[in-house]
Amino acid sequence: MLSIERVSRTFSNGTTGFKNIDLKVEQGEVIGILGTSGCGKSTLLRVLSGLDKQYDGQVVIDGETVHDVHKKIGMIFQEPRLMPWLKVYDNIGFGLQKKVQSKIAQYIKAVGLVGFENHYPKDLSGGMAQRVAIARALVTSPEILLLDEPFSALDAFTKMQLQDLLLNLWQTYQSTILLVTHDIDEALYLADRIIILRGQPGELYQEIKIDKSKPRSRGDKDLAVLKDEILQLLDLSHSKAI
Amino acid sequence: MKEVIAIPKVNEGKEKHRRINPSIQRVLLGSIVPILLILAWEYLSRIGVFPPHLLPAPSIILQSLMTMTTDGSLWTHTSITLYRLVLGFLFGTVAALIIGAAVGYFSTVESLLDPLIQAFRSIPSLAWVPLFILWMGIGEPSKVVLIAVGVFFPVYLNIVSGIQGIDRKLIEVGKIYHFSSWQLISKIILPAALPSFLVGLRSGLGLGWMFVVAAELMGASTGIGYLLVYGQNTYAPELIISSIVLFAILGKITDAILKGLETKTLHWQDTIVKK
Repeated sequence: MLSIERVSRTFSNGTTGFKNIDLKVEQGEVIGILGTSGCGKSTLLRVLSGLDKQYDGQVVIDGETVHDVHKKIGMIFQEPRLMPWLKVYDNIGFGLQKKVQSKIAQYIKAVGLVGFENHYPKDLSGGMAQRVAIARALVTSPEILLLDEPFSALDAFTKMQLQDLLLNLWQTYQSTILLVTHDIDEALYLADRIIILRGQPGELYQEIKIDKSKPRSRGDKDLAVLKDEILQLLDLSHSKAI
Repeated sequence: MKEVIAIPKVNEGKEKHRRINPSIQRVLLGSIVPILLILAWEYLSRIGVFPPHLLPAPSIILQSLMTMTTDGSLWTHTSITLYRLVLGFLFGTVAALIIGAAVGYFSTVESLLDPLIQAFRSIPSLAWVPLFILWMGIGEPSKVVLIAVGVFFPVYLNIVSGIQGIDRKLIEVGKIYHFSSWQLISKIILPAALPSFLVGLRSGLGLGWMFVVAAELMGASTGIGYLLVYGQNTYAPELIISSIVLFAILGKITDAILKGLETKTLHWQDTIVKK
């Protein structure tokens, strides 16, 4: 589906970004990417999305080497990034070349925003705005969905709601998901595989497979054990990056 | 959720019965001071504090306006002035929109044109008058061009800074969807720059009025600016003040039109509502 072959992207000073990342992602897989700040997680997503083109190595989608923004890729940013002059309805349909009403309505329903079609972004709460952003990313039916810390600006309850929403949507549409996060619980709750980046520039340090079926319990004991393991892997006690 | 939305509406309805419409209230508040001033002026003129050959009473000015309305000269002068203003305003705005959008979006165009435009901007626009009259005579073209030059700069500056101030993050959203340059401009850049464009339009309009007066003072046989000169030459202060009043009224009306356009197109903005 998606394979990343020895991809590096470092910035002029050489200490930020990431290097030599190899990763193969299967159709429908959810990958959680964890790492301390400054290890290039977000940069990795920018490279994959085609927004950042100054990298070495190859990104291959379905056997095709890509070097630009790709139709099969959708992206959800940390902030909703809605167009303030468009109503919810038009924001969701923003990426569609042809606005198909039934399709937009379907996704408005999927993210639970029925009745808010004619609201402007200024009238939405943070959680609602991020729902709109999720619907906007999904409406073009991307096969690969990139999420860059999508829930980090939300309060704990909204965050959990939206994680469940994302899980539901994933179960319905079976898209491949790459989720960058600094929330270990979030990664454990959603991901089939967790990738840990470490260092400056970041390198792939460890891969952890989670074979539990979803939806998972947030208080699962096995996950708690894994969380401990990840904390040690991230070596937070000795990290300079914090 | 629906209940929450419904509650303030009920309150609003009650308030409407109890109090006067807030916009009317604002108009009433705003007119107290001018009315008092006019009454004082009328009174002082009548008891002879203000010499009538320098500052005639408001009633005399009103009378001269009425005479001009009945003999039709008011409409002739107003329409020609408005015609010059609108034409110059349109030319100036269109030129500023096209050049400003190009300069704001393409950095090569910016380094190519912006220094030159900035240099031209530092020339006081009135300094062009002799040249324009030399080139185009004292007919309409020189006046319209002068007004267009005056309107151009504020609109241009606001468009450029509006485009350059756009959040890069919104443009990235467009890039994710593989938008073409034209789609980026029409679907993201222009709507995002609209607020500052409208600010530019309003200050452009203000300058447009200034240059209409300048152009008509310089050499015209019609127009409200001409009335000013005519009033000066015939020792008719009521004519001069009438013209000034006309400028004030027309300026206010045209600005209100733009303001209405602004509130209509920018209702999506999350700005503070004054109490």
